Amino acid sequence: MRYLIASAIIVLIIAGGLTLPAQTLAAGSGTTGAAAPLMVRHIIGLENISSQMSGNLTVQNGAMQFSGSKSVAKVPVISIDGIFVGTETTQSGGKVGKVMKTAAMAAPYESGKVLSLLMRTKVDILTISYRDTGGAMHAAIFALPIGQATDMRTKLVAAGAREGATPELKERAQQ
Amino acid sequence: MKLNRGLTICGFLAMLIPALALGQQAPSQAASKAKPQKLSASAIQIEPIEAGDISIPAEFRYAIYERLVARVRKDGTFQKVFRSGDHEAANIPDLVTLRTTVGKFKEGSQLRRELTTVTGGTRVDVTSTVAARDGHVLFESDLSGKVRFFGENLGVTNDLAKRIAKLLQQRF
Repeated sequence: MRYLIASAIIVLIIAGGLTLPAQTLAAGSGTTGAAAPLMVRHIIGLENISSQMSGNLTVQNGAMQFSGSKSVAKVPVISIDGIFVGTETTQSGGKVGKVMKTAAMAAPYESGKVLSLLMRTKVDILTISYRDTGGAMHAAIFALPIGQATDMRTKLVAAGAREGATPELKERAQQ
Repeated sequence: MKLNRGLTICGFLAMLIPALALGQQAPSQAASKAKPQKLSASAIQIEPIEAGDISIPAEFRYAIYERLVARVRKDGTFQKVFRSGDHEAANIPDLVTLRTTVGKFKEGSQLRRELTTVTGGTRVDVTSTVAARDGHVLFESDLSGKVRFFGENLGVTNDLAKRIAKLLQQRF
């Protein structure tokens, strides 16, 4: 009986885990239009925006704009002096995924580790460096759906941002 | 016979207790002697992370920089914390500058960490140098940031920033 309950819990967790990446991708896939906002996760850097906040990233009126649920941050495109693109394999599902994985730790025989295999997603990491009006250097880092960071870089460069990437980083971004 | 044994045990304990007490005192005395002198500065300027020949992704370098600025501000060790290039820093007479150079970087894997618990760690070794306005080096220290068990690889930047900020707190 105990094993039946444990098995049922694992099946439920796995079923939930399988649906989460699909939701995450769906959120990103509908945002490929030129003016359409891109759903991203702010990792660090923007003033008054908390870490891990999700929001829309757009380039409009000469500024890169991040709109979170409560706050908005703008960076003038001409102040951007470096754009770097990388990739990272991370856990999908956001906060729900984190809760599920914590719950899965209690599953017997370490079977919860199966979730680690299932809840993987590859994201692009977009790093921009810029200077404020006082000359101080800032950096902002975002996690984007895979393949979207290069598009965003192209948009920023077209709007007047300086790329500043080393050949090695460009090569890495193309891989 | 029983009395003899009791006396022996008592004697042994009487010798052991002062010895233990002395043993505990000795390291604390050594530590207090080795404790470095506190420095004084009202403001610090944090420079971006230098990588030299070490291959480290840009997001790690910039995340260390940003987390350092945030952490040092939060700790309140200095009245003012300036970012690199800030024009306002030019007017501060007792400004110190923090430079961080990456010595070694090993990018692990979150998946491997979660599956095996013992492998897949991410580690970054740096040398942090604090210099006065005239360029004189006040102190230099080697530190490491690590992610061993849970979390994204970028979590290593948080760990490292915490350690550097703690070092600054100890020295200022």
